[in-house]
Amino acid sequence: MRRKVIFNNKVLPYVLVAPQLAITLVFFFWPAGQAVYMSVLQQDAFGESVRFAGLANFAYVLADPDYVKALWRTAYFSVAVTALSLVPALVLAVMADRVIRGGTVYKTIVIVPYAIAPAVAGVLWLFLFNPSVGVIAYGLRAAGVPWNPTLEGAHAMILVIIAASWKHVSYAFLFFLAGLQAIPRSLLEAAAIDGASEARRFWAIVFPLLSPTTFFLLVVGVVYAFFDTFGLIHAVTAGGPAKATEILVYKVYYDGVHALDLGGSSAQSVILMAIVIALTAIQFRYIERKVHY
Amino acid sequence: MRPHQLLLGVTLALALATASTHGFAQPARAPIEIHMWMGLTGLGGELLAKYGEEFNKAQNEFKAVVSFKGQYPEQRAAAVAAYRAGNPPHIMQMFDAGSGDMMAARGAIVPVSDVFQRAGLQFNPADFIAPARGYYGLPDGRLLSMPFNVSTTVLFYNKDAFARAALDPEKPPRTWPELIDAARKIRQANATACGYTTTWLAWVMLEQFSSRHNVPIGTQGNGRGGLNAELTFNTSRPVRMVQTLVDMQKDKSFDYGGRSNDAAAKFISGECAMLTQSSGGLGSIVRDAKFKFGVGQLPYWPDVQGAPYATTIGGASLWVFNAPTRSAAEFKGVAQFLAHLRSTPVLTDWAKRTGFLPATNAAFKAMQAEGFFKDNPGRDVPILSLIEGRQGEHTNGYRFGRWTEIRDFYHEEVERALQGQQTAQTALDNAVRRGNAALRAFERTAAPN
Repeated sequence: MRRKVIFNNKVLPYVLVAPQLAITLVFFFWPAGQAVYMSVLQQDAFGESVRFAGLANFAYVLADPDYVKALWRTAYFSVAVTALSLVPALVLAVMADRVIRGGTVYKTIVIVPYAIAPAVAGVLWLFLFNPSVGVIAYGLRAAGVPWNPTLEGAHAMILVIIAASWKHVSYAFLFFLAGLQAIPRSLLEAAAIDGASEARRFWAIVFPLLSPTTFFLLVVGVVYAFFDTFGLIHAVTAGGPAKATEILVYKVYYDGVHALDLGGSSAQSVILMAIVIALTAIQFRYIERKVHY
Repeated sequence: MRPHQLLLGVTLALALATASTHGFAQPARAPIEIHMWMGLTGLGGELLAKYGEEFNKAQNEFKAVVSFKGQYPEQRAAAVAAYRAGNPPHIMQMFDAGSGDMMAARGAIVPVSDVFQRAGLQFNPADFIAPARGYYGLPDGRLLSMPFNVSTTVLFYNKDAFARAALDPEKPPRTWPELIDAARKIRQANATACGYTTTWLAWVMLEQFSSRHNVPIGTQGNGRGGLNAELTFNTSRPVRMVQTLVDMQKDKSFDYGGRSNDAAAKFISGECAMLTQSSGGLGSIVRDAKFKFGVGQLPYWPDVQGAPYATTIGGASLWVFNAPTRSAAEFKGVAQFLAHLRSTPVLTDWAKRTGFLPATNAAFKAMQAEGFFKDNPGRDVPILSLIEGRQGEHTNGYRFGRWTEIRDFYHEEVERALQGQQTAQTALDNAVRRGNAALRAFERTAAPN
């Protein structure tokens, strides 16, 4: 039996991947290469004096107490955002999976936030929590909470975490729902016949079988919190008050565009790239072992 | 004929033809565009665009294109990118706090004195009012940038609120103790919801305060002596000023209204009875305030020896960019457009309509001669506080890199003090520490002059 597929054209495959390659080259490799190159240079804003600085920019950045603070801030920000988006997404997905009538309506409602631009989502939450006009801020003050995210760093942080998580729930929801629907009904029915309670069925069957999805979403969630929250933070707090919401990616922007410290900013972006590569590698290497595919 | 010979022949013929048309007739050539980026919106932006149109109508060799590219910091980032790409704007308006960064970038800019000289146009730095000259000048007298929208801090006060609190509406407080007293009386009489507020916290309470009391902001002659200057404003007098605001905030005799221009709305709406603000903010107060108001000079502490000294300038100036591709003709156009902007009719129109100060002595005299200050009492207050105030070692502004960022450090730390999270001393200690770190980073990366 000969089932060999013969594909003789030597050029076409390259032509077909060329657009994707070109995009990756222009929008990833070129800027990333520039960042690596500029991270070893010391230069003024206008590029009048450019000299090779070796790893001096990295040494300076890592010794900067503000940078270390931003690093920890980013760590708990990304943990909080990932947790606060994955848990509600899973709950919603499990519920939506069980809805028999009008399921599409519920699903659409949950998915809609994903289509909202980060800056718009940010402004939406900013208004809800605005100390003078916000509905939620009004409620908080009525409840005796002296809510003021424009002056209180912790309040501002809570605000951006909520907004960033809310925005990501839809994405996680979609994947959880798809994951749930891929679980064979027969397994659940067998467990039900054996007398397993609903909670028991969830923890013993659904959750382990969902673990590839959960694992994937963990990786994507951390990367989202690290990078994609920039637009939202820029719109809501601009990193303030007093740098309280300045996560690493925002510091790269501020130091590069506002302080015009191109070497330091590039060094930070290289470190950021290394952190994300390392995080992803660790996740794949260690967490993957416990994942039931 | 070989192909390259043919090409040569055609080129020669074309060159001859071009030369002959130039020699015999003046064809309608496209004017050379002179691009200017400005950081102003609203009335100021409209007026600058209008001056560009006037310039274009008066001649047809050059065409000024005035455009808004964002607020000053964004505009500067855009200009840096454009410069690195070899095509910066010809002229850029940059605000006071960005001046230190521009001055350190000596290869990127051409001093305006040189621009005029190359174009063969008369330019005398002494035509500009003295404080602006000191701020934007070089030790040899040449001007690096051309002062345009010049302002200083003044005190606006609500005369109706003063009357309600049984204060003399014709007597603005001259000193801080007088202002504190007036603010307390206004609060006690509940004449307004808040006694006093200020715009531009760092500009007023750090930069203007230092000039008014001849207190240094940093070493090396406030940064003029070199990039190794250190900030030193965490001393007793600036600290007392911040502590005063912290104390006044408790009974709303002072109410903080944000970092930039936002607090002006608190005055215009009648919420606060007094406001320290740029004299350039006059236009919107005249337009929107529904009460009688007066203007006084920035208050001072009478126990500081020699006070009151002069206030210092704010606002913005016009910088000329250099680029390898810039032709002599373009620089000539730049000089001509700048000459139009510094002309007496333009500067007097600008000063009268915006509340900014006339940047040249000639424009100031022209306004005096037509009786503008007699007809508009209070409009000479900023000029008097700037020009006729006592001059001291530290009244001539400052020159620090990354000053926009350092201003924000000051804002952040003082905001924490106003929230009661730290003392005024700690606030300024922190601002100085963080500011010095930024200055060292700037020193490391700046081009050696």
